[in-house]
Amino acid sequence: MSKQTRVMVAVARALAWLLPAGRRDWAEAVWAEAQQVPPGMARLAWRAGGAWMLAREGLRPRRLGRVVVFAAAAALAAWTAWPKPGISHVTESEFTAIAMVVLLGLAPRFFGVASPSRAGRFLRVFCYAALLVFLAAQGFLGAFTGLVPRRAYQHLWAAPRGVPGTSTSGPNWIGATVMLVVAAGYVAVFLRLTSRRSQVTRGTLVLGTGWGLLFGVVMYVVAPLGLGNYATDPWLRGSEIDPLVVLAWVLLFGGPVAACVLAGRRCRRPDGSVPSYEFRIRQGIAAGVLASMTGALSVTAAALGTITLMIKSAWLRQWLYHSPHLTAFGTYSHEIRATQVGPYLFMCLGFPFVGLFMSSVAAAIANPAPRQPSSPPGNGGGPPGPGPEPGPVPPDGGRVDRVPVLALSGCTVFRMPGPPGSGLPMTDGE
Amino acid sequence: VASRPKFSAQTLSVLAALCDEPSQWQHGYALAKQTGLKSGTLYPILIRLADRGLVEACWQDEPQPGRPRRHLYRLTAAGLASATGALASAARPTATKAARTPAVRGTVVGLAP
Repeated sequence: MSKQTRVMVAVARALAWLLPAGRRDWAEAVWAEAQQVPPGMARLAWRAGGAWMLAREGLRPRRLGRVVVFAAAAALAAWTAWPKPGISHVTESEFTAIAMVVLLGLAPRFFGVASPSRAGRFLRVFCYAALLVFLAAQGFLGAFTGLVPRRAYQHLWAAPRGVPGTSTSGPNWIGATVMLVVAAGYVAVFLRLTSRRSQVTRGTLVLGTGWGLLFGVVMYVVAPLGLGNYATDPWLRGSEIDPLVVLAWVLLFGGPVAACVLAGRRCRRPDGSVPSYEFRIRQGIAAGVLASMTGALSVTAAALGTITLMIKSAWLRQWLYHSPHLTAFGTYSHEIRATQVGPYLFMCLGFPFVGLFMSSVAAAIANPAPRQPSSPPGNGGGPPGPGPEPGPVPPDGGRVDRVPVLALSGCTVFRMPGPPGSGLPMTDGE
Repeated sequence: VASRPKFSAQTLSVLAALCDEPSQWQHGYALAKQTGLKSGTLYPILIRLADRGLVEACWQDEPQPGRPRRHLYRLTAAGLASATGALASAARPTATKAARTPAVRGTVVGLAP
């Protein structure tokens, strides 16, 4: 293989990665076919045409737009999360930022393109946006707590504690690993449920997302600035918050149940028929898990985003804590107490299991297995279905169909319809 | 009346090549030779046709020794119907235009000073 050819092969392989998963076969096809072209300029021209085709297919405007938007958002998140001078746990923060961006960039290649529904596309964008906010916020807050003097911590908490990134505490590799595992789990579930291959219906996606966002909004109103005992709510004072706390608990356990039951009842097959109870159970569980995950992710992104903005911008801090009695130290202590990312991480880890459990129970109760009718032996247990419709008459008068399909070639895919009654396979969309 | 899909001249040439032997699987290079299209034009056309379900593709099961497996193409039943219709309708206006041209030209010539 000449040097030119080797370079072109390398370029083509790199370009093939620009293509969506379903298109990469074509890249391989055009490259394999080059071996049949006479060597020399003709083969070079064939390869050049293939590289041009790959570049054009990979850089289509809409796809390119998505890539650019994601790259810009990921760069912004990584820049925000990147460790600043003076922090000792640089390696861990850099690792988290790079690994998260790589995870988000590569994950769609394993789960395929999004379903054509708006709900599917919205969920993917939502998941990515929330995880990037999570990444940026945890990096920024980690850097902030790393720069807080130890005396401030000792003043706020009676027991002395290690300060992340200082001499008493090393890099938090366990926290970084847990965060990446949680992010990978969320990406996998969201991309799987919204992929074109998924059997989850549009209605299920809408119901799960709707209940999840409702839960997320309620939780955010209850605890916009942290989930700890010292977390404050700048909008609701004293007992005003209690009804919303009750509502948040109800939605935590009841949201997945409601989403599950509604999804099981409303789901329909593409032809409008009522699906089997197993299908309804699967739809219900998917809706329940989606509700809890959407809720956890939305409140995590919204709250951590608010806390980050509060620390970064004085006007927001002033707006959130506008009490005339609040001292500078009081505000500072609010900031430090709000920077605890751990509770959100545990919430993201635990809520999906709550959703899975609640929706599994609800799905089993709401969709009982149908009883088998007691029919005499040999009666088949159901009305006879319509017989197969005769295939259309081909425009060439059946010239193609007379060819024995199984003897066409050594291919593994047989999708040409055989003539009715010929015993050859009919097209069934498989 | 269902409107037939519009195809470009290059797509029509690919459809015509595939229509020659619709039951046979064909290779990309053979199609390129038949149509005179470069690989950078031919493959995007095949991709679009496959996306629309007019062409089906598969990998060769038994490749030649020392060579990679080849990608094979042929028309689906829907593709054959579309191609036949498109090729027929593409041929018709040409014939009509050819029939009209002398008369039109004659009129124009007759009007000229």
